[in-house]
Amino acid sequence: MPDVDVFTALANPTRREVLRLLREDGPHPVNRLAGRFDMRRPSFSEHLRLLKDAGLVTERRDGRERVYSLRAEPLHELAGWLAPYESFWSARLGDLAALLEAEDD
Amino acid sequence: MTEPVTIEVDQFLRHPPAKVWRALTDPERLSRWLMPTDFAPAVGHRFTFRTGPRPGFDGIVRCEVLALDPERLMRWAWRGGTLDSTVTWTLQAEGHGTRLLLRHEGFDPSDPLQRAALEMMGRGWRSHLMRRLEQELGTP
Repeated sequence: MPDVDVFTALANPTRREVLRLLREDGPHPVNRLAGRFDMRRPSFSEHLRLLKDAGLVTERRDGRERVYSLRAEPLHELAGWLAPYESFWSARLGDLAALLEAEDD
Repeated sequence: MTEPVTIEVDQFLRHPPAKVWRALTDPERLSRWLMPTDFAPAVGHRFTFRTGPRPGFDGIVRCEVLALDPERLMRWAWRGGTLDSTVTWTLQAEGHGTRLLLRHEGFDPSDPLQRAALEMMGRGWRSHLMRRLEQELGTP
């Protein structure tokens, strides 16, 4: 089990921005990633550590660099939270489409 | 401030907006495809949807018509169980059919789980984006 839950990890705008960058631009060496944020390095490292503890990013060594990648698996937890509402509406809209089909005009 | 959690469902229907609007606003039709209701198409009208009760939910969704723009838009207050939310229907003609967009937003911040979700749901992190993200990335 991760040490930090995914809700906590995503509660912060900097951490969400890190995930967005990793998602849109792919894996980043830590220096390049840190360079995109106006923040002291220890603070930034703390955000990365939290994301790693939540299992939302992975870290690997590439020569002298540490490279961070997005890991999508914990996001299932989030999608799962709203799933009952979403399936409710999807099913009801399916019924709406069926009702419209059944009407002649 | 955090934005509320939003569910968006986008559906194309092979019927013109007038017909879709009728299905959304005629209480008899609405009762058939959504849930039994005493809806009336008038801003300020209070109505309910009734379904089976569950733990923490008496099975009654208490609603109010907040906005009405015929064949274009309708917004309801939607309160049931711990949920205090709004439901917005948007209709757009598309070819011979209608693009129907449903937005269900504003989940109750007093529920700890919902509050956690509110806090984590910043701009652009709505549920359908999450799903799309997962689909794009797959499971490592």
